[in-house]
Amino acid sequence: MKYITTIKDKKFEIEIQNDGSVLVNGQPREVDFLSLTPSLYSIIMNGHSLEVVIEERDGAYEVLMGGRLYEGAVLDERAQLMLSRHGGKVAETGEVSIKSPMPGMIVAVTVEEGQAVTAGQTVIILESMKMQNELKAPRDGVVQRVSVAAGQTVEQKKVLITIV
Amino acid sequence: MPEPTTKIQKILIANRGEIAVRIIRACRDLGIPTVAVYSEADRTALHVRFADEAVNIGAPAPRESYLRMEKIIAAAKKTGADAIHPGYGFLSENADFAQAVADEGLVFIGPSPSAIATMGDKQAARTAVKKRGVPLVPGTEPGLRDDELFAVAEQIGFPVMVKAAGGGGGKGMRSVNNRESLPELLATARREAESAFGNGEVYLEKLLVGARHIEFQILADTHGNTIHLGERECSIQRRHQKLVEEAPSVFVDDDLRRRMGDMAIAAAESVGYVNAGTIECLVDEDKNFYFLEMNTRLQVEHPVTELVTGIDLVKEQIRIARGRRMGPTESFLNPKGWAIECRINAEDPYNNFLPSVGQITTLLTPTGPGVRVDSGVYGGYEITPYYDSMIAKMICWGEDRAEAMLRMRRALSEYKIMGVKHNIPFHINLLNSFSFIAGKIDTMFVEQRFSMDTYEASPTDADLESAAIAATIFAHRKRQLASQVVAPAKRDTSNWKWVGRYERLHK
Repeated sequence: MKYITTIKDKKFEIEIQNDGSVLVNGQPREVDFLSLTPSLYSIIMNGHSLEVVIEERDGAYEVLMGGRLYEGAVLDERAQLMLSRHGGKVAETGEVSIKSPMPGMIVAVTVEEGQAVTAGQTVIILESMKMQNELKAPRDGVVQRVSVAAGQTVEQKKVLITIV
Repeated sequence: MPEPTTKIQKILIANRGEIAVRIIRACRDLGIPTVAVYSEADRTALHVRFADEAVNIGAPAPRESYLRMEKIIAAAKKTGADAIHPGYGFLSENADFAQAVADEGLVFIGPSPSAIATMGDKQAARTAVKKRGVPLVPGTEPGLRDDELFAVAEQIGFPVMVKAAGGGGGKGMRSVNNRESLPELLATARREAESAFGNGEVYLEKLLVGARHIEFQILADTHGNTIHLGERECSIQRRHQKLVEEAPSVFVDDDLRRRMGDMAIAAAESVGYVNAGTIECLVDEDKNFYFLEMNTRLQVEHPVTELVTGIDLVKEQIRIARGRRMGPTESFLNPKGWAIECRINAEDPYNNFLPSVGQITTLLTPTGPGVRVDSGVYGGYEITPYYDSMIAKMICWGEDRAEAMLRMRRALSEYKIMGVKHNIPFHINLLNSFSFIAGKIDTMFVEQRFSMDTYEASPTDADLESAAIAATIFAHRKRQLASQVVAPAKRDTSNWKWVGRYERLHK
């Protein structure tokens, strides 16, 4: 089975053969991959021992190794093909929603509907865990809809503001 | 003749999280049974699991539970607890609570209500300690006219800070670097204070450039003994929240320790302080020190002092509350070794320290020589949005600062937390920064001169490849498993019928 795996913008073509042996960009690698618990793995790779925690979250893979967290995507050939047909980039245009990353209370909405915003501009201040957190616009655009008001409490993942 | 003692046979802990667990451990060591209180959001919290008894005190919001004095006192009455330990935060510095506990005939493990009240009022605290000659940050009282303020500013010297008398939070606050800009900045500060607090009164304070936050641990018993247990350096802060503390401080020599220690004892004695407390100070580049405030409770960072003195501060607190003489009889001028604490917060250091909630899916806690972890969470625990984001503290001890730092680095790389974002990468980068390693830090270091990018070595290609291989094999196995597990066809009839058919076939 061939996969295209992307870690921090670097692409690897990784093939796992039927006997379990691993090829990276066509080169064989000696990998002993042992599951200790559902997310904890002991890996001996070319003689090096690595302890790695791996979890799947929202379709992506998180790999914790040596105190550093790597986020990656693993696509098989079919998924790779689908993606190349559909573009698959983060939308540069169209609607983008800013959702509440956690439950909390809206302290202030710093923009109005119809207002132009730039990427990184603070649009909402959300109080949670005794702290005021600034939520920022992910890209340039115009505020289409403000769905909350100051003083309102919100649940996690609630859409707060829509930018077009 | 035996000393008169107060009976303490069961302790209620009016707190949650790691500090409640820490206090329960001290009680266990002393053989004293414990009562936890918990909000509806904390039924699964670690302190509930650790305590002998547990009482539900209401809804998740602190003002409905952990801040409700009458509910906590009722829980103590109901369970027969005869003493209450307030921990830090919540009701720990509330003089009315300390009074209410005493009025009910219970023991409050902490100072007297009057000491809490005096130290809790900024102006009253300044007045009290000033009588004992404790140095204060030079400044004025509120309510002066502009021309008076100009004259004082010349006296104390620029830069100065204009602060609003009516409140804090940075509103009505301006730093002024020279006399030319004072009139204008004074006017804007007054306007801002007027609109924010309805009170345009301001006062001036000398702005200490490059100051460190250094504090002294105080211990005092009811027999008139007051000592200090040395200093803690807490200059690594972000938005006035401490992130890393150490004991001793690289900046404090024997002479400064003796002088600051004497000052700290005098400040505590000025309010007749009993039990554990902390004198917080600012120390400028020329080693001039100034009293900031006294925290009339156990501090978050108390373990660094414990590791360099060998004293269990919570056990001493209980001993003092029992009316006994405290264990140590002299101030500690020679700390043994070095201790560093990193606060582990569920905050994303790559995203403006945004707090993170959710389930901790994996938790592997470091162990080994010189490592102590005071934690309030466990693998599978769900972090809720109601309380602060500190989930654990890791404290490392070494013979000297270098050994403590190296152990901390080692332990940080062993610490594995998944499911929520946390600030362990921040601590790893901080311990790689030359300024921290050299001890060249002040209270503005993290906000002004530190960034995650500066000290983070980019991962090597080999690291990326290892991560890619790990993710791919993990995904591959999951997919294979998913494709092999085909739901077995359900038997449409009872097992008896199956047996009958089987037997007919095999006749």
